[in-house]
Amino acid sequence: MRKFIRSNLKYAVLVLSALLTITPILVIWISSLKSSSEIYNNPFALPKILHWENLVQAWTVGRFYKYMVNTFIVTFPTVLFVVSLSCIAGYAFAKLKFAGSKIFFYTFLLGLMLPFQSIMIPLYYLVRDLKLLGTYWAMILPATALGLPFGIFLMQAFFRSIPSELMDAASVDGCNEFMVFLKIMLPLAAPAVSTLIVFQFMWTWNALLMPMLLLNRESLRPIMLGLMFFSGRYTINYGLVAAGVTIASFPLMIVFFIFQRRFIRGLTAGAIKG
Amino acid sequence: MANNTLHSNSNLSFIRRFIYQNKVGYLFILPALLLYAIFFIYPFIGTFYFSLTNWNGVSPQKTFVGFNNYIRIVKDSLMWTSLYHNVIWIIIGTVTPIVIGLLLVVLLGNKKTKGQMFFRIIYFMPVILSPVIVGIIWGWIYNPVFGMLNRILKVIGLGFLSRGWLGDPNLAIYMVLIAAIWAYFGFCVVVLMAGMQGVDMNLYDAAKCDGANSWQQFINVTIPQLSPVLTMLSVYTMIGGFKVFDIVFIMTRGGPANSTELIATYTYNQSFQLNKLGYGSALCMVMVFLSLIVSIILIKFREKSEV
Repeated sequence: MRKFIRSNLKYAVLVLSALLTITPILVIWISSLKSSSEIYNNPFALPKILHWENLVQAWTVGRFYKYMVNTFIVTFPTVLFVVSLSCIAGYAFAKLKFAGSKIFFYTFLLGLMLPFQSIMIPLYYLVRDLKLLGTYWAMILPATALGLPFGIFLMQAFFRSIPSELMDAASVDGCNEFMVFLKIMLPLAAPAVSTLIVFQFMWTWNALLMPMLLLNRESLRPIMLGLMFFSGRYTINYGLVAAGVTIASFPLMIVFFIFQRRFIRGLTAGAIKG
Repeated sequence: MANNTLHSNSNLSFIRRFIYQNKVGYLFILPALLLYAIFFIYPFIGTFYFSLTNWNGVSPQKTFVGFNNYIRIVKDSLMWTSLYHNVIWIIIGTVTPIVIGLLLVVLLGNKKTKGQMFFRIIYFMPVILSPVIVGIIWGWIYNPVFGMLNRILKVIGLGFLSRGWLGDPNLAIYMVLIAAIWAYFGFCVVVLMAGMQGVDMNLYDAAKCDGANSWQQFINVTIPQLSPVLTMLSVYTMIGGFKVFDIVFIMTRGGPANSTELIATYTYNQSFQLNKLGYGSALCMVMVFLSLIVSIILIKFREKSEV
């Protein structure tokens, strides 16, 4: 009997926590299909008729289609650059001997400890002087530079764990250093690369302060920045704000459910060793 | 003789190989290094340089003022208030999600628990939401007009407690903290679950044999076994606590009456709202200093746990 109560209590706590976690998200998603007065009258009730027009309006009038496109234009190159440059450099730090490699490596690691604030003010003027303001490059290049320390750290640790005999065998077969890297090492690195892709993708997708400074022109805003201004402009149109939140979170949540293992590994990579 | 030639030959090839390998190494890190130098190191030095001026961002002249900005920071009571809020944030924002995480992991930890993976995914859901979305969702919950919190209080007969939760200077920071903890505890659950996999199950059996109850098992087996993970997680969370910006900026912008002003929001306001870029840069350097200290602690712990 005691065991029965105990096991039920355990599930009660687990289920209650799950409900507390999920309810706020579900409520705002459901609210995107309600009218503002419905939301005002009872925030928890289901909609009587489905107000799809909220989503349509946010997408078109609220220009979420534009913000979504902007996000992808910024996120794809950033992830691509961070991953490819980190792989090459991480490999060099792990497997190639060259003078000063330690110093360079620690210089990169320094970036892991510094907050974005350590560069934000001069970065704005640098980007302006390079005539990049008003282009997507204003964010892509600095975001890549900011992502490199973690990427290099991750890839270096990974490549270090691969036995060097593999490379030696390949060099005997007449591969040059780059071919060894490309043909032998890179395919082995797939798990670490997927971790890095998720981490960098989420970081770029969710970034706020950086686009606030560097992509503040309305036509360039990525989704989170767009959402911030949108929710400020339509504060009383609750249904529309909920629609904006839904557009910015629902698709990502679906992707999360499909690739949840990769997501969880990627996002916790900073706090778990190896 | 033949031996000698062979030797010098291999010596020569060794040097060649060394040069060659150096070249390859540099070529491999060059693209990363170039971007990093231009968009990270150069602006980082710039921040320090700006912090020694009283530049306002507009005038062509940057007047050199030495360490005056730093002296002003020490005397700036609002800076100390912000830093105090960071300390509150770090203490509550580190302890609470880890304790919640520990509780849930202990409940989940047993392999007999049904739906272990399901719960893990659910708890992790808010972690992938951006702080902008978390801020808007919780801004709704706390809303004085239609907020869910006030509705719930009314239903359970505590309607007299209802208020504009984020408008109350005594409560605002805790309210934002609750939102932040909601968005973060799932992270702790996952990290601690990963840590639990390294715990030797035989220790529990041994403890049971010694007649230890669940609580004693938790204190004497789980906690010590998890302690490296717990330390890592705590320090990692603390580092985040110094940098918090997004969620506070979305929910309160540091208000009401600076009651949620954190060092990052204060730095932002001084730099970009008031255009005090020299002073703002000095505040940025303070953040650098704080981050470096906590990061060095983290590295020490990492090294210690690796030994």
